[in-house]
Amino acid sequence: MSIELPETAGVTEQSPEELEALLDELVIGRDDHLNAPGYVIKPDTVVESLRRLRDDAGFDHLSCVTAQEYDDRYESIYHLKKFDDPTQEVSIVVPADKENPVSQSANAVFRTADWHEREAYDLVGIEYDEHPNLKRILLPDTWQGHPLGQSYDQDQPQVVPLREHKNPLLEDQRAASESETMYLNIGPHHPATHGVLHVKAVLDGEQVVDLEPDIGYLHRCEEQMCQNSTYRYQIMPYPDRWDYISAGLLNEWAYARVAEDMADIEVPEYAQVIRTMGAELCRMAAHFLALGTFALDIYGDFTAIFMYSIRDRERVQNILEDLTGQRLMFNYFRLGGVVWDLPEPREEFIENARDYLEELPTALEEYHDMMTANEILQLRTVDTGVLPPEVAKSYGATGPVARGSGIDYDLRRDDPYGYYDKLDWDVVVEDGCDNYSRLLVRMREVEQSAKIVEQCLDLLEDWPEDERTIQANVPRTIKPKDDTEIYRAVEGAKGELGIYIRADGTEKPARFKIRSPCFSNLQTLPEMSNGEYVPDAIASLGSLDIVLGEVDR
Amino acid sequence: MAGLLQGEVLLPEQLADLMGLEGPLGVAVGALLGAFIVGNIMLAMTGVAGPWAKRKITAAFTDRFAVNRIGPFGLFIIVADSVRLLGKELIIPSNADRPSYDLAPIVLPASALLGFAVIPMGDLGPLNIHLADPEAGLALVFAFASIASIALVMGGYASNNKYSLMGGLRAVAQNIAYEIPLIVTAMSVVIFAGSLQMSTIVAEQGATLVSLGGIDIPAWYAFVNPFAFVLFLVANMAEIGRNPFDIPEAPTEIVAGYQTEYSSVYFVLFYLGEFLHIFLGGAIMATIFLGGPAGPVLPGFVWFVIKIWAFFLFTQWARSALPRVRIDQLIEIGWKGMLVLSFANLVLTAIIVGVIA
Amino acid sequence: MSSDNQQPFVTDRSRVTTDTQDARLTGQDDRFNSRLREAFGSSPFILTKFDKFMNWVRGSSMFMLQFGIACCSIEMMHTYAVKHDLDRFGAGVPRASPRQADVIIIPGTIVSKFAPRMKRVYDQMPEPKFVIGMGSCTISGGPFQEGYNVVKGAEEVIPVDIHIPGCPPRPEALVYGVAKLQERIANGESAPVVVKPYELEQFGDLERDEIVDQLAAEIDTDDLVMRYNWADSP
Repeated sequence: MSIELPETAGVTEQSPEELEALLDELVIGRDDHLNAPGYVIKPDTVVESLRRLRDDAGFDHLSCVTAQEYDDRYESIYHLKKFDDPTQEVSIVVPADKENPVSQSANAVFRTADWHEREAYDLVGIEYDEHPNLKRILLPDTWQGHPLGQSYDQDQPQVVPLREHKNPLLEDQRAASESETMYLNIGPHHPATHGVLHVKAVLDGEQVVDLEPDIGYLHRCEEQMCQNSTYRYQIMPYPDRWDYISAGLLNEWAYARVAEDMADIEVPEYAQVIRTMGAELCRMAAHFLALGTFALDIYGDFTAIFMYSIRDRERVQNILEDLTGQRLMFNYFRLGGVVWDLPEPREEFIENARDYLEELPTALEEYHDMMTANEILQLRTVDTGVLPPEVAKSYGATGPVARGSGIDYDLRRDDPYGYYDKLDWDVVVEDGCDNYSRLLVRMREVEQSAKIVEQCLDLLEDWPEDERTIQANVPRTIKPKDDTEIYRAVEGAKGELGIYIRADGTEKPARFKIRSPCFSNLQTLPEMSNGEYVPDAIASLGSLDIVLGEVDR
Repeated sequence: MAGLLQGEVLLPEQLADLMGLEGPLGVAVGALLGAFIVGNIMLAMTGVAGPWAKRKITAAFTDRFAVNRIGPFGLFIIVADSVRLLGKELIIPSNADRPSYDLAPIVLPASALLGFAVIPMGDLGPLNIHLADPEAGLALVFAFASIASIALVMGGYASNNKYSLMGGLRAVAQNIAYEIPLIVTAMSVVIFAGSLQMSTIVAEQGATLVSLGGIDIPAWYAFVNPFAFVLFLVANMAEIGRNPFDIPEAPTEIVAGYQTEYSSVYFVLFYLGEFLHIFLGGAIMATIFLGGPAGPVLPGFVWFVIKIWAFFLFTQWARSALPRVRIDQLIEIGWKGMLVLSFANLVLTAIIVGVIA
Repeated sequence: MSSDNQQPFVTDRSRVTTDTQDARLTGQDDRFNSRLREAFGSSPFILTKFDKFMNWVRGSSMFMLQFGIACCSIEMMHTYAVKHDLDRFGAGVPRASPRQADVIIIPGTIVSKFAPRMKRVYDQMPEPKFVIGMGSCTISGGPFQEGYNVVKGAEEVIPVDIHIPGCPPRPEALVYGVAKLQERIANGESAPVVVKPYELEQFGDLERDEIVDQLAAEIDTDDLVMRYNWADSP
């Protein structure tokens, strides 16, 4: 009953010393994190260091860029991983001057650094040299100050002048001369953007010449919220609201995992099984909605498939509501376990869940009949929105988007947590690289999740009554040691959901950085859409399955 | 079957007779009155279809109830919806190109209503619901129906909105690509019937194709040439812009296409126009492929209404179940597929008819 | 819920507060005013009957704007879809274009970058239009109230007719809210219009410190957003 571990034979693991030797003269110090060795380098050697690590040591996944301000310096941290074996990690710490925080951009090595560094500039205020397009990304261009910096005064007035938001139709927009292209704003209120994304598109007839996603319309200061809350109880409700498409438990697990690793909390096995089951139910619900909204993009108005997917979501949500007491924002995990046991009577809950799983294959068959087997849908999705694996890796794409591009990367198997490594399931990979394979990946992942839930139900049913410990003994307040730093990720519904925490000895984190999978995935949209038709660009956006709450945080 | 031919007297003359008027004046008054009656019947049908039937049908496809709170089966929603929409503020974008912005919503339903003039709708009691029966009736109805694309491009262009513009241009590209297969396929029917006159086409379908166990299967052209029927059905779906060819509207791509900027009365007119075109499409289908108003027991007009509602149901079914094709694929299907097939159909029909006759 | 229950969630008419009704009659809220009423100046019998009919019409049927912001939009979709089926109340047709919508449900947190856009969408809707604030975020900013970027409630930007609390409200709550709004409209009431300018108008009562002075020099008064004037709205 255990999954096949990935072949890590081809991936050589380097010891910290070897890495230090590789970086050689570039290293000016060590700053080890709980999860990985950290090397301090000078701000003007970022490209060189990252290139060596990528080309010579195989660290091909820039998972996250964290920026933060200390009393005496600014710091950017590049969290590197390997797609082949994400347990091998390394952190590159780049301190920058307090007065004049300038650091070299990593954009030349990893294209995903583009947005990550823009975010760092926007929120913390570090400037990146050689960055192609360093401007605000989450906040309006006219914003004063950098809100996650130390000197930021939240009560200062922020003024957004009218010219920023003037009606683009007010003046005649006809191009003066023989311009061949048309500029089109898609969003932030548009039926295809699944929320409040703004896409600036330049069209040549119906074809997309250039496309630039503009985000920040749902930047709800999630990081600040978490930094103002205590580890023990106050942070946990927020993750539910990052990826709000019912993926709540998956997100909660991201926080639970990082905080438990940091505070050294052992989670009882029974709680792990419940967590695994809940998380997979959430994944199913999230994928159903992805399916439904993708159908919305391709089929038009609220059609049968959308309704069917909502029907199936309702059923999952009912089970989750029985388990957690909530439909959408569960707040069910606690550090060291879950908040309560399965609802009484247990048999009824288990039976309900089993009933659902039993009917699921019929429902999936229906989806396959109506979607994947439909020739028009195939016409629309096969070979559109192509995302080659190298590009996907460079942009740090993860989750179903990466797996639809043939990248065999799933943290549940590659960096095991919870109960996943003791269960029997497969990682779904499709190598079509197009919209169709991303759709297929999601549909097949639902099947795998059902398989996992089924096994968890069996385990829970037979679990001896006196060994049902739902929570470990966790102190009332958690105060990790000063300057403890950790970066941990789990497999969310959309991909690798990572959290970086730096503790400062109090019961609140000093820096709480969220690595959102959608943020990185959305970056690939121009790659997929340029040169395609408008409907394909919209289908690609749908197949990325972004959640703006997670993109903007 | 002879009952169909009995209606050689058309509605205007019948009305003139009833009122005791004679000569050109009588015909003119009768024609106006007849047009009024037919137009209102059609508008009433769209009124039922738009706010109520469409919702109920879609709901039935998706396991829902839809409107059921006001009136029996929620039927009063028809009143509520239409009055509310008419009572809303009429917004005209500041740079709209008038008068084409104002004309477009009138042209669309008007073009569809004109088309109904030549459709034989069978008899209802003593009346023969058929306004005019010119010799080139079939050509005329296609001519009227294709005015719609002018309305769409007018509305799309005049709104001064990029989404509208795209919708309007898509509508034109689509209509041009599918108009030709549509008419070429209809020509194969003309070869069978030997006439463009609607009443003749209907009458020709009255013959018995084959007798199965005492039941006469009429020689409806849908049975005689199912291939042409399917071709015509597909081309017709594209012509009226329904799924899978609803790209001029494409709600998730270009917001609401050509009607993005329209509100209130103008929106109602567009909405009406769209539904009228669906019904006109159904009426053409019924007339040239499904024997027009022919059918057992019930009066011809009832059968006619049943047939066009069946077509409406079909469009709603397609809307619920089929994805939308992409604009370039649509054009490709139109020019490379439909056109070739429709010509093949025409040539084959001509050969077969030539050999048999 | 049985489907033959024709009038759900009806409150006793006599207990409904009449403040807003009075406001409407004295012309403070002209959302319900018709040209006819303006022409006649007062309310003759035929017009009151007509008004009643129009109120019934507006309360019985509404097109919703297809408008999703955040978490609540997921529950909003559930409300439109199977099981909860908002269309039973004649309120389940989402329109993508604001020109054709009557009701905007604001489902989620409004942040500084989005507020002006939401205002524009609201302005694009034709009168009479109604606003449903869904979730705690539209009441006060909800769990994100203390965020540096979060607008503290939808009422800062556009007038809200019905607030539905919850984080997120259950679909049942949204159905109840919509039914309540319909009832209010049918009774001829609407929320008093209270719109605070979202941005600073002439910097109001702010302390004139250096930053404010600098900004005031940069930006002339015509250049501010969110100055909402009911009379001048299109």
